[in-house]
Amino acid sequence: MTNIPASVIEYVQSMWMAEMILTYLHIDAEGRLIDWGGYPQRYGLTTLTKDKLVVDQVDFLNGFLDITHTEVLQYLNIGGNRCIHVHIVPLEDGIYVLLLDVTAEHDRQQKMQQQVNELSILTYRQSQLLQELETTRIKLSAEKQQLEQTSKLKNDFIATLSHELRTPLTSIMGYTKLLDDAKQADVYESNYLDSVKKNANHLLSLIDNILDQTKLEIGQIEIHPNNCNVKQLLVDLKSLFLPIAQEKNLMFSVEVPDNLPTQLIIDELRFRQVLINLITNGIKFTDKGFVEVKITWQNNRLEFIVTDSGPGISPESQPKIFTAFHRESTANALPGVGLGLAISYHLVELMGGQLSVESSPQFGSNFTGFISANSVQFSVSDNTEISNSNIKILLVDDSVDLRSLIELYLENDGYAVITANDGDEAVKLALQTKPDIILMDMQMPVLDGYGAVQKLRAKKFTKPIIALSGSNIECDRNYALEIGCNQYLTKPIDPEKLLKVISQVILSSI
Amino acid sequence: MAILQKKICMIGDFSVGKTSLVARFVRQTFSDKYLTTVGVKIDTKLLTLPDGNQIKFILWDIAGSESLTTATTSYLRGSAGFLLVVDGTRRPTWDSALNLRQTVLKQIGDKPFVILLNKADLKEQWEITEELMEEKTKQGWKLLLTSAKNGMNVEQAFLELALLMTK
Ligand SMILES: Nc1nc2c(ncn2[C@@H]2O[C@H](COP(=O)(O)OP(=O)(O)O)[C@@H](O)[C@H]2O)c(=O)[nH]1
Ligand SMILES: [Mg+2]
Repeated sequence: MTNIPASVIEYVQSMWMAEMILTYLHIDAEGRLIDWGGYPQRYGLTTLTKDKLVVDQVDFLNGFLDITHTEVLQYLNIGGNRCIHVHIVPLEDGIYVLLLDVTAEHDRQQKMQQQVNELSILTYRQSQLLQELETTRIKLSAEKQQLEQTSKLKNDFIATLSHELRTPLTSIMGYTKLLDDAKQADVYESNYLDSVKKNANHLLSLIDNILDQTKLEIGQIEIHPNNCNVKQLLVDLKSLFLPIAQEKNLMFSVEVPDNLPTQLIIDELRFRQVLINLITNGIKFTDKGFVEVKITWQNNRLEFIVTDSGPGISPESQPKIFTAFHRESTANALPGVGLGLAISYHLVELMGGQLSVESSPQFGSNFTGFISANSVQFSVSDNTEISNSNIKILLVDDSVDLRSLIELYLENDGYAVITANDGDEAVKLALQTKPDIILMDMQMPVLDGYGAVQKLRAKKFTKPIIALSGSNIECDRNYALEIGCNQYLTKPIDPEKLLKVISQVILSSI
Repeated sequence: MAILQKKICMIGDFSVGKTSLVARFVRQTFSDKYLTTVGVKIDTKLLTLPDGNQIKFILWDIAGSESLTTATTSYLRGSAGFLLVVDGTRRPTWDSALNLRQTVLKQIGDKPFVILLNKADLKEQWEITEELMEEKTKQGWKLLLTSAKNGMNVEQAFLELALLMTK
């Protein structure tokens, strides 16, 4: 016996318990416990008393004593931690209740069932989650659609606002300029005129900034890099700002390097806007000293530094300086809504660069940035001299003020001008009189500019058409060019620019 | 003289909380861990009714599944009533409960029962609508929101059943 391992003995004993020594209860016809055998205490039946009712001693037998044939109850746990199969067998001398230990089998079954059940719950939760995810996705996409709709409405609103505000302003500015050019005004009158001009200008730049900021927010500003004469641009800026700086007794300089190519491919309009913002800002905040612009060009990068000797920006404010509508406490007395730097920052980013600020209260501020700028080989096309008087321009605009204003500019420059009041009239006149170029307002009653251009192009009108629009929304511009306009100018119309564009367009159409 | 004994079955799909409800009722305990019941676990509990009478519940906590097999229907024999348990966070267990009730009806006849919508502490995951409940209440069924976890309505559930059975 000494050679048999303990585990084998244990195993043999467990077999013994389960099958060799049967645990049973013997119950008489009146339901009294007559006798028992085996190990009922193993299953929690510790206090059995003979000749007493079995249902008061063995709970689970409640309801099972009136059976007429053998009843089997599987996997019962009646207390304690063992599990039994119960066979209730009615015989002549009463009922025998047999208790068979099935704990091992129970534990095996339990492990298996546990896995099955847990998996099933997991699968259910997973499918619920997926469903939830799908519901969320549908909801989000509906919300997105809603947002896009709202954003489109906002776009349209901006376009309308832009048109409504800019058009009357154009005529105010145009007439002011004409009055001023007439030079017959006395001192008072010309002061008044200056004041009108200054305020109109301020209003216009305010409107433009708000529009720009809104469009930047909805990602609607596109960059259009084109050949740009950067040197000329810088000369223009210098002559624009020098008088303003001198008025405040500030030194103003623009430093241009020798290696700067004449032509760079950049978005001239936007680059100019950034520099104007930075210089305006510098001059605005500086009361003593200088504002200085330094340009360098290397590795197809156009770098610029605008330095001033102003009050500087506190370290706490520097991170916020490029945020829309942020205003420095030092700016309280000064005009502006705090958009210039925010717009510049985003524009520079859009042009493939970066804008940053360095500043200290003693030395002033330093705005440093760059944009990507490739150089171009520029081939000079021979300029054919054309006499403007041979050129017939059809000017279409529903605003009488604006029409007569532009007409004045054009005739001043020697062009022959015909006018039309709406798109319908324009189409008729164009087909009859065959102008060399059409200036077409885009927003008009009866038939708008878009419709008129489409009609004309459909009727094989091939001469250039320049769109004049109150909307500087990108998609309007693109649409106009798509349907056959050669150029797109936004109001207020800058007379010099208009004349330049007209001659360019005519040159390239020959 | 021996006190009144009543056999009660816990009926419902697996993991709805039958074992937990019994544990809460009999031992005032609760465990988050799920341990599948195989077969039946039998417990007893003495309950004092509002009229002062005592009743001894013999609780048969039967392994849950969506339907009963022949082996498990024999557990029902001699049952005086039952608690039909639903997991309020799993809508399919509601349908299982309705099916199970049909089986029980066929097996032991029309016995008193109370429907327990368990896990009422998990409100964010709740999947049983007011309409579903209302429909059954209108048929005269007794429904209770319970939580074996925080004990809500557990004692109440057994008491309701006792009252239905002794009526
Ligand atoms: N939150 C919460 N969980 C519960 C409740 N009742 C049971 N559970 C959990 O649900 C799982 C299944 O419970 P169990 O009593 O074994 O269900 P049975 O298969 O019907 O006996 C276990 O993990 C329990 O902890 C409850 O009221 N609230
Ligand atoms: Mg269970």
